[in-house]
Amino acid sequence: MTEDKKVDRKCKRFAARLKSKGISCSNMPGPNLVLCNVGQATGLVKDDILNLCNYLPAIKLRKFIAEKGESYSFLVFDTKESASVFFNEYNGKNCFNNGTFLYMCYVDSVPDTEVLCPYSNPEGLLLVEDFINIDEEKAFVDLFNFKETNSSLKNRQVKHFGYEFRYGSNDVDLNSPLPDKIPKECDILWTRLKSYGIDLDPPDQLTVNKYMPGQGIPSHVDKHSPFGPTILSLSLGSSVVMDWKHHSGKSLPIIIPARSMLVMQGEARYDWQHGIQPRTWDPIIEYTLQGNQRVKVITSDTTNRQTRISLTFRWTRSGKCDCPYKTLCDASNSTEELDDAVASNLEELHVHQVYERIAEHFSSTRHSTWPRVLQFLRQVPSGAVLLDLGAGNGKNLLHRTDILQIAGERSSGLLNECKSYVGEVGTVDCVRLDLLQAGLKDSCADFIICIAVIHHFSTQSRRVQAVATIARLLRPGGRALITVWAKDQTRSNYLCREKDKEVQSNSTVEVAGLTLPVHENRTQFQHKDLLVPWKLRGMKENKLADKPECTLLRYYHVFEEGELDELCELSSLLVESSFYEEGNWCVVCKKI
Amino acid sequence: MKLITHNMLTSKCLKGVVTGYPLAINATDVKISEVDFNPEFISRIIPKLDWEVLWKAAESIGHSEGLPQTIDPKFEDNEEFLRKAHKVLLEVEVEEGYLTCPESGRQFPISKGIPNMLLTEAEVQ
Repeated sequence: MTEDKKVDRKCKRFAARLKSKGISCSNMPGPNLVLCNVGQATGLVKDDILNLCNYLPAIKLRKFIAEKGESYSFLVFDTKESASVFFNEYNGKNCFNNGTFLYMCYVDSVPDTEVLCPYSNPEGLLLVEDFINIDEEKAFVDLFNFKETNSSLKNRQVKHFGYEFRYGSNDVDLNSPLPDKIPKECDILWTRLKSYGIDLDPPDQLTVNKYMPGQGIPSHVDKHSPFGPTILSLSLGSSVVMDWKHHSGKSLPIIIPARSMLVMQGEARYDWQHGIQPRTWDPIIEYTLQGNQRVKVITSDTTNRQTRISLTFRWTRSGKCDCPYKTLCDASNSTEELDDAVASNLEELHVHQVYERIAEHFSSTRHSTWPRVLQFLRQVPSGAVLLDLGAGNGKNLLHRTDILQIAGERSSGLLNECKSYVGEVGTVDCVRLDLLQAGLKDSCADFIICIAVIHHFSTQSRRVQAVATIARLLRPGGRALITVWAKDQTRSNYLCREKDKEVQSNSTVEVAGLTLPVHENRTQFQHKDLLVPWKLRGMKENKLADKPECTLLRYYHVFEEGELDELCELSSLLVESSFYEEGNWCVVCKKI
Repeated sequence: MKLITHNMLTSKCLKGVVTGYPLAINATDVKISEVDFNPEFISRIIPKLDWEVLWKAAESIGHSEGLPQTIDPKFEDNEEFLRKAHKVLLEVEVEEGYLTCPESGRQFPISKGIPNMLLTEAEVQ
């Protein structure tokens, strides 16, 4: 068999394999080629391919497409002649001096996985590349690199200077400054910023984040009221793609290179959210011209992240924020400052009354126990007393007759559902109670579960009180599982893909003298305190009606990472594990 | 409401109330429902209860017959006792009636077997 025939046969075999992936190879020369055996998964470097093209000066490569995790890649040439020059030169040849023979076929079409990003950077955002040089970067890394940390954040390591950033409330306690101020080595930064027209007094708060590849930070806006109009972020060690989102629906990725300084002011500071996806790689972002406009192209090609240290400098302030950007402003739609009676009224209208009305319909949609709840309940030993606080329809109660289970619930409608659901289990009993004043004896429980309840309390002090009740009812050594809805829904099935791209609705409702945003179901949360619509459907002969009767609004405070842990710590509960499951933050804690 | 649950209820969240325990029971309807006997469970749960409160609660609704006022140290081995305790703890249920706070006299209704321990904003400490 001649060499040509061998190569031919090999290509045919590759073509058959690619066919199963939906890639149809063709015998007819055209401008597109598939490289059958080199791709991202084989450790391909784009530059190697570009070099091959450069040896053939007459040809022009328009596009190179390497999809994540695939062992093949695509080349798009300007003409079929260019493609055939490349094909004839390299097919079946040892091209990379590493023993890899390159095999290729013509293809009719190539995947169109590139995403054009039509939006320009947020107003008020200034990214100064090479703000510091390599020596300065090294000095900063040596100064701030830390090996151990006392932080409880699961996703990354942090350290604070000036004031400790409190993750539960996303602010600082101005009454307890830290002994460690911002190191004087940072002073060169403010001086240098002046040459970019940014003239600022030195900041008084610094948070150092160390991100290992794979770690990220959920999309957020730095809380308005506790911090001033400028936020600075200096990046060390690795470039990263930061995703920016505006509530109008605009979103764009921005490459933040190592040694760059990011200055956030105006809209960028107040009206956009930014975050970093938890992954070990980032897409390569290129530019293309559309008319006269330079447009970002998010390619399917990727680059690996390295360890990145970011220094976030903030200026603390006191009082309510007075910015003109209301959507993300904690001063304009937070329930934090509510008087307790107003908060209680808000919960009466938008939690308790709603649950009474939707009890039957709600109960018909709640059957299965979440896996981690089941896991927690199964390890409860025989003879134990378990309280399910905010038991709802009792779906989490186990049909176990060797433990005492008391279902505490505020809604009588749900409690009736619960009573009939667990009726035949002789060791279950139901009590109507409120978590803030639960009429149960101190230390009466060996175990407590409180599933999807605490997010219905509308102020921090009420949430603290709710967790304090759990601590009061547990006996020393007793354990609780607490879960709440997370603000970050990107890792759950809650988001509907199509909806996320739609423009977010900006509807609001006046409640108890404050304006609360109404959430668009199945989209990422834009706010921490909000109303979530429930489309109520009636029940007839155990069947749901086809059409909703009306829409009711339930109040939620959705939790940031670490916020629930902090509530537990405030009640001296020892957090044993803390995790994210299906859109919820969960902790298992122990009464010491 | 089972008497095992009553053993844990308190009105101490009421303004001005110190212990709020035990709550007095007034029952207008008591039902007995059969529950599978699990001697191991009963033996393990008894040390967690206030026995005197349980006995008085049982007596107040007329179901203390044969139930000792104090627990024998070796109660685990006494099946007859465990069966009686089982009945009082799990099978006797107050369907309708009310509970009364021993300090303030505040009443908590029991309806369809469920005690309502909710308080109004004004009643709370």
